[in-house]
Amino acid sequence: MTDTNTQKKPIKKKETIDPNAPFLRIEKLNKFYGDLHVLKNISLSVKKGEVVVIIGASGSGKSTLLRCVNFLEKTKNGKIYIEGKRIRNQEKQLNKVRQELGMVFQHFNLFPHMTVVQNVMEGLVQVKGLHKEKARERALDLLEQVGLSDKAEIYPSMLSGGQKQRVAIARALAMDPKIMLFDEPTSALDPELVGEVLTVMTDLAKQGMTMLVVTHEMWFAKEVADRVIFMDDGIILEEAPPEKMFSAPEHERTLEFLKQVLPPQSD
Amino acid sequence: MPMNILPWDLGAIPSRFFLFGEAAWYTVQITGLGVLLGLVIGLLVALGRLSTNKPLSAVARAYIFLIRGTPLLVQLFIVYYGLTSVVTIAPIPSAVIALGVHNGAYIAEIFRGSIQSIHYGQMEAARSLGMPKGKAMRRIILPQAFKRAVPSLGNQLIIALKDSSLASTIAVPELMLRGRQMGSSTFMYMEMFVIVGIWYLLMTSVLSYVIHRIETRLKVSDRD
Repeated sequence: MTDTNTQKKPIKKKETIDPNAPFLRIEKLNKFYGDLHVLKNISLSVKKGEVVVIIGASGSGKSTLLRCVNFLEKTKNGKIYIEGKRIRNQEKQLNKVRQELGMVFQHFNLFPHMTVVQNVMEGLVQVKGLHKEKARERALDLLEQVGLSDKAEIYPSMLSGGQKQRVAIARALAMDPKIMLFDEPTSALDPELVGEVLTVMTDLAKQGMTMLVVTHEMWFAKEVADRVIFMDDGIILEEAPPEKMFSAPEHERTLEFLKQVLPPQSD
Repeated sequence: MPMNILPWDLGAIPSRFFLFGEAAWYTVQITGLGVLLGLVIGLLVALGRLSTNKPLSAVARAYIFLIRGTPLLVQLFIVYYGLTSVVTIAPIPSAVIALGVHNGAYIAEIFRGSIQSIHYGQMEAARSLGMPKGKAMRRIILPQAFKRAVPSLGNQLIIALKDSSLASTIAVPELMLRGRQMGSSTFMYMEMFVIVGIWYLLMTSVLSYVIHRIETRLKVSDRD
């Protein structure tokens, strides 16, 4: 079912059969806002089960990159492949593909007119066509997983920021995504609420979820990431395992950035 | 008696008040049906206006431009008198159509504003679940937009109720016409139009109260 859209021409068929392909591959992606060149020829791959964390100063293009992956930002310049299959800017295919790409936003974007459990059920019922009771069961399971079973029947406005973000994670997980995209998931939270969200994300990583995370939480990058990417001014300046990135970065610019965001005792 | 100082027979107001009941019911009916039609037209025009389909958006824009830029009375006469060479429409349906078409333009702008006021993150969240655009609009955006539109819609409903008095010019037996008839048959114009005014005031008061109740009710999911 999932790949019927793309198999009309033989060329595309060739793309679909590559068992060794990385789960997500971005090739020479460029993005412009008017004259502003925000992503400059970005190429990046994420393997199955890998946790890749993107760090960098604000305005470096890291959120834009993430949003390009599920086509919330559209660009004609560059290619994106999921499991070796080229994703095109085409409604039908995008609606399918987006189910496999769980997205968590900085500002949660929960649906305020629905209760917590309805938020989590919405995609299951409306997109996957699950029966309401089945969807509810699954939603309650997910809420338990993020520690919010007791909040199922209330509206999002009654939750703290950390709780909202955990619901948003549950909502994304409900679609059974193959990869989770996190766009600064803790940046809008009070400091004391950051931990609970990172804990949920760490658990996910431990369960083997493939993750692409844009964050300012260096602790998370250090402890959970398999690979850290440092973006600067629209390019990937440096890419390394966390141990190397945080102890011996290659570029002066990276060192400068890390000095600013890490507490002084960190070396 | 201090009452005799005034040149009017104020006692006629309570005694004739309920002779206007049937006329008031006509006012309620043409307003209600007119606004209902206006809601349907308004939603369609608002969605058309916001559509990425350029011709559709242009048609919606033209509709709002024409209807908002001309008086309701002109529209009413076009429907009732103007169309007679093509189709004859009875007074009451004419009034409902004209009120619907007229209010549709205003309601379209109310809906457009409230739809646009919903944060784009809501659409993004829905789309990122794989929801098609139309469904995201129906399931996520519109319920929130309707809620925000309620105060303005209430306002429009009250305006429509008062505007329905123009239907008296095409012989709809509503409040205003009744007032004129009663005035000319009794020569108590002041008393009769005061009665008409009180009826409108009563109805707008009830509407204000109901709208307020609806607003309070819809606040369930908001904290502040």
